[in-house]
Amino acid sequence: MTLWLAYIRRTPLLLFVLLYTIATGGPFVWVAVMSVRTTPEIFGNPYALPSRFHWDKFTDAWTNSSYGTYFWNSTIVVVTAVALVTVVGAMAAHCLARYRFRGRRLVRFLILSGMVLPPQLLILSLFQIMVDYRLYNSLTGLIIVYVATQLAMTVYILEGFFAQIPQDLFDAARMDGYSDFEIFWRITLPIGVAAIFTTVTLNFIILWNEFLYAVVLMTEDSKRTLPLGIMHFMGGHQLDVGMIATGLMIAILPVMLIYAFFSETMIKGMTAGAVR
Amino acid sequence: MAVVTVAGLSKRYEGSTELAVKEVGFTVADGEFMVLLGPSGCGKSSVLRMIAGLEPITAGTVSIDGRVMNPVPAKDRDIAMVFQSYALYPHMDVYTNLAFGLRRRNVAREEIDRRVRGVAAKLALTPFLTRKPHALSGGQRQRVALGRAIVRDPKVFLFDEPLSNLDAALRVSTRNELIKQQHELGTTTIYVTHDQVEAMTMGDRMCIMNKGEVVQVGRPLELYRSPADTFVARFLGNPPMNLLRGRLEAAGEHPLLRLGGIAFELPDWAAAALGRHLGGEVTVGVRPEDLGESPAHGLEAKAVRLPIRVITVEPLGAETLLLLALQGSDEELIARVGRDTAFRNGDQAAVVLDPAAVHLFDPTTTKAIPRPR
Repeated sequence: MTLWLAYIRRTPLLLFVLLYTIATGGPFVWVAVMSVRTTPEIFGNPYALPSRFHWDKFTDAWTNSSYGTYFWNSTIVVVTAVALVTVVGAMAAHCLARYRFRGRRLVRFLILSGMVLPPQLLILSLFQIMVDYRLYNSLTGLIIVYVATQLAMTVYILEGFFAQIPQDLFDAARMDGYSDFEIFWRITLPIGVAAIFTTVTLNFIILWNEFLYAVVLMTEDSKRTLPLGIMHFMGGHQLDVGMIATGLMIAILPVMLIYAFFSETMIKGMTAGAVR
Repeated sequence: MAVVTVAGLSKRYEGSTELAVKEVGFTVADGEFMVLLGPSGCGKSSVLRMIAGLEPITAGTVSIDGRVMNPVPAKDRDIAMVFQSYALYPHMDVYTNLAFGLRRRNVAREEIDRRVRGVAAKLALTPFLTRKPHALSGGQRQRVALGRAIVRDPKVFLFDEPLSNLDAALRVSTRNELIKQQHELGTTTIYVTHDQVEAMTMGDRMCIMNKGEVVQVGRPLELYRSPADTFVARFLGNPPMNLLRGRLEAAGEHPLLRLGGIAFELPDWAAAALGRHLGGEVTVGVRPEDLGESPAHGLEAKAVRLPIRVITVEPLGAETLLLLALQGSDEELIARVGRDTAFRNGDQAAVVLDPAAVHLFDPTTTKAIPRPR
C-alpha cells in the first residue's frame, strides 16, 4: 500500500525526467541513427531506423571528406590551447588569490571583463589584428585567440577555489624552504586538482565545439577545425544530411569521452566552494 | 643552538594607521622555552610571524645569534614553525609531510628516511606513515605537525597556539609531550598562546603582551607573585586577582591601608618610600587563594579579618569559590577556600588575609607600587 503510494508520488518526477531525457537525448539519438544511413534513405523516411548500417560512411568521411585533417587540426588547436590556458590561468589565479599587490583589483577586473564582451563584438578588431600579425589562417593564431577568450573563465573558477586553500599551508611551505613558484607547483596545483579538471573539461568542450572564431579566422581548407568541416557538407544548393550526421558523430566523440572520464571530478570541483 | 633577540620590533599592517606591534623587545636564551602570552589581538602572533619571516617588519630587528635576520627570507632562517591549524599538506601522506622540508634542503635520501622514521617512532606515528592527514585524529595531526618541525632539526622552534584545536584532555597530554620533546632536544623555542595555564606550565620564561606592547617579561611564578600592572595581575591566575579600592594613610614607619570598613598596617612597605601615594587612593590586589576562612598556621598574629557578606558559594569539588561583597564598600571579590567551607549564602562573616599577600597598584597608571627590598 505504502509502496504503491510512493510510486504514485514519484510519477510526476519520473515523467519530468523522462520528458527531459527525450527532449535532450532525442535529437542526439536521431543524429546518431542518421549517421549510419545514407542521404537518400533519410530523405525517403527521416525518422526510420536504419535498414542497413552504413559504417563505411565513417571511413568515407574520414578519408574522402578530409575529416582526418579537421580532426587533427582540432586536436592540435584545442589540446595546446587548453594546456596553455590552464597553466597561464592557474598562475594568474594563484597570484590573485595569494598575493596582495598594487593594482591587483585592476588586473582582476581587466581579466574578468573578458567574460562580459560578446565575441561578435571582438571579432572585427581581432580579425584586423590577426591579419596584421600574420596569424590569419594559422593554427597558432587560433590557439592564441582561444587562450585569450577562455582565460577569463579559467581564472574566475580557479581563483575562487585557490582562495579557499588555507594561508597556513603556504606559510608552512615557505618555512619548509620552498620558493613562490615551487609552492604554486607543489601545493596549489595538487590541492586544486579538482578545480583544474573542471576548467580543463569545460575549456575542452567549449573550444572543441567553437565555431565563430574558427569560421572567421580560418578560410584555408587544410587549416579548418571540425565544426567548420561539418559545414563543408552544406553546399549552396544541396545538403548532404547523411554525411553531416556522420561528421557530427566523429566530432562529438572526444567530447563525450572527456566528459565521461572527468564529469565526476568536474562536478566535485564546481561544488567544492559551495559546501565548505 | 641559537639566541633570538628581538629589538624595537614594530608592525603596521597595510591600510591601518595604528601599530599592531609597538617596539617589542626581548631576548630568548639558547635552549630556552619562551612563551608569548596575551589576549587575542595583542600582537603576539604578529611578533612570531615577523621572527619567522612570514611578515615584513615595519621597524626594529630580529636577530639569531647576533646576525640580523630582517633581510633573510623565511626559508633561509633555519626556523621551523608549528601552526594552529597544523597546516599539514592534505595531498601528501604523513611520511611525505615529514620529509617535505628535508627534500628541499637536499638532504640525502637515506638520511631523510632515517630521520623521518626516527621522528615518527619518537612521536608514535610509525603506524600512520602512509596515511593522508584527513585520515588522522586531531592529536595525531598535531604530532605530525610537531614532527615536521622536529625532523628538520632547526635552530629555533616557533609555535603558534598549537594546542588550541585539541580537546581538554588531549591538550594536557600533548602539552606534557611537547615539554618533554623540547627538553630532550634543547632547541630554542618561542611559543605563542592566550592560555595562561599553558604559559605557566610550559614556559621557562614568559613575555606578556597587551595592545601590541610588552607588559612584563620573567619567570612564570615571578610574574604571578609580582605582576607589573593590573593587566598582568588579572591576566595570570584563575579566578583573576581581586582589585579593590583602598586608601594609604601615614601611621609611623609603615603605611596604613584602609580597605572596606577596616584599616590595617602593611609591614612590607615603608611609608617614606610611598611618596605621593601616601594619603591617596590605591588599587589593592588580592589573589583569591590569599583569602581564607581561618588564618594559616603561624600567621594568626599577622592575619587581618575582612568583614564580608557571602553572595554565592560555588563548590568545585577540590575547592570552593566564594563570591563576596566587602562590607563598607560593597565591592565584590572572589575567595578560594577549601571544599569543606562553613560559609553559606547570605552569611555575614569575615575572611582572613595576610597583609604580606597584598599587591598595590597606582590607580591612574595601573602600574604596581613596588615593595622596597
